[in-house]
Amino acid sequence: MSTKHSIAAARFIENRKQEAWHDETLWMVRVKRDKMSRSLPEWERLRELACDIKLYSNSHLDTLLEQFEENARANGAIVHWAKDAAEHNEIVRNILQQHGARNLIKSKSMLTEECRMNEYLQEKGFDIIESDLGERILQLMHLTPSHIVLPAIHIKREQVGEMMEHEMGTEKGNFDPTYLTHEVRKNMREKFLHADVAMTGVNFAVASTGEIVVCTNEGNADMGTSFPKVHIAVMGMEKIVPDLEALGVFTRLLARSGTGQPITSYTSHYRKPADGGEFHIIIVDNGRSDILARPDHIRTLNCIRCGECMNTCPVYRRSGGYSYTYFIPGPIGINLGMLKNPVEYSDNVSACSLCLSCSNVCPVKIDLGEQIYRWRQELDKFGKASPEKKVMSGGMKFLMERPGLFNTALKFAPLVNKLPRFMVYNGLNAWGKGRELPAFAKESFNDMWKKNKVK
Amino acid sequence: MSTKDDILFRIRKHTGTRYERPEITLDAITYEDKLKQFSDSLEAAGGQTVVWQPGSDINELICRHFPEVKRIGSNLPEITCATFNPDFVSDPRELNNTDLAIVEGCFGVAENGAVWITQQVKFKALYFITTALVIIIDKDALVNNMHEAYLQIEGSDYKYGFFVSGPSKTADIEQALVLGAHGPMKVLVVLKG
Repeated sequence: MSTKHSIAAARFIENRKQEAWHDETLWMVRVKRDKMSRSLPEWERLRELACDIKLYSNSHLDTLLEQFEENARANGAIVHWAKDAAEHNEIVRNILQQHGARNLIKSKSMLTEECRMNEYLQEKGFDIIESDLGERILQLMHLTPSHIVLPAIHIKREQVGEMMEHEMGTEKGNFDPTYLTHEVRKNMREKFLHADVAMTGVNFAVASTGEIVVCTNEGNADMGTSFPKVHIAVMGMEKIVPDLEALGVFTRLLARSGTGQPITSYTSHYRKPADGGEFHIIIVDNGRSDILARPDHIRTLNCIRCGECMNTCPVYRRSGGYSYTYFIPGPIGINLGMLKNPVEYSDNVSACSLCLSCSNVCPVKIDLGEQIYRWRQELDKFGKASPEKKVMSGGMKFLMERPGLFNTALKFAPLVNKLPRFMVYNGLNAWGKGRELPAFAKESFNDMWKKNKVK
Repeated sequence: MSTKDDILFRIRKHTGTRYERPEITLDAITYEDKLKQFSDSLEAAGGQTVVWQPGSDINELICRHFPEVKRIGSNLPEITCATFNPDFVSDPRELNNTDLAIVEGCFGVAENGAVWITQQVKFKALYFITTALVIIIDKDALVNNMHEAYLQIEGSDYKYGFFVSGPSKTADIEQALVLGAHGPMKVLVVLKG
């Protein structure tokens, strides 16, 4: 039984050149991260602290969120709570309607993807404009992100150029990234100036001061919030950090891990509304409070969305973000998908070689690979275990428990080497798909040991 | 039950082990020559630094770096080369087509080349809409790392503040680095000596 991931991955690797480029480019980002991490002797201590701070804040969400709300209100912000995606989308729509807004300019937010907010608002007739370059390219191409930090990593410059010829009248055949970026800059300038309402995501929300922190390289969040009177910031409730001292740990780790930069170009602290403006903050649960009840998976709430687990994952790099069925791909997406709906998203747990590279680089020490392993043990419970692998595992168990039979089987095993291919590589042998099986040795280790051949 | 109460109820019901807040103790990196490290970090981020010796004319220094610019905005009294005061516009959109803005920063961070700026202009749009940005800080106002940076910020009052490390940038098309995504294409930090 092939999973949806393996079927989609097979399509991705059909284009060998693109697959190799994708793999090498993301690995290059991982290498940049290594260079950054090695330039700080305290790197591992930072990771440890980041993990411990998150375990503290996520086990004190009740008090920290209330403290955050109180301080944000004192700063003049309007704080909303949304228990799910529907409530979140409705709150946004109400704010837009109150202000007679027709368009919304937004910076990147995985939360609005999670809530499918753009689709909802577009259906109601609002014009939603993504301002991050990668997100804007995808929006104009009617595509979704394939990576949470490098959303258009799967798109080639020629595709971008051709889309822009059509959308912005750029020079035919000019696919130079600098030219194309600066054309988007010109085009977007008008959108920024005439935006009705601005929206940003939130990288960190500081409980002790009531401010929110947004990190970008493009400055699009700050440009976006500079002209409209209304700023809406949306945050998953695990974005909370206790205070500025704790924040320092995360602003040192985020960009070093995600893109191999010591810090993003902009780390912006929004504390109070602009003069005569309104500052709304929406705190969203949407399943996060349920994760708190699962001690085995609680660390997924540590995630700061740096994207490093994607860059390092050998499966992600060679199969692309679209091969996963959950909107967040890669190791963290496999886990978040399973927490959202294990029956619907179980296809993704196969997209892991259990190499644990993700667990070893995660800046907040989420045990990503270990959690995927645990989910695999539970697949049968959800009726999602592969039937062929179950049959084979059952057969193996039968043999292992009967040493006499096992030894006899082993003696005859080399015969498999001589069988015609169709008898070994067929629909019944899931382990023979896409890989060559090793040849059985002529003699077993047991026999060699007995004959004193083992030195 | 309100949504907020509902959420808080679920959080309390589902929270298991309550972990202690860790003591944030660590040997964070420090530099013998913070100025050099700051300059190197900023350069790596696509920006530039220049030391301004007191007694010389800062306007001349700025003109030397930006000979082409026409529309220069600044609300700093010593910047006589400014062609307009951005605090006198009534709408931030009027700041569009600013070639150069000259502003003050609070301090720089050696480990990453970032400067902490709290909003000291009427419209924060100025910091982002300008094609080139000059930030003036004291040469001695440098901290080693972000931990020291937040110690400086702790307790200060601001409406909006930001760390800026070099120009606006993107690599969203095939990971090719391009300076000047939406904001400034050039950033020069003037270190007042």
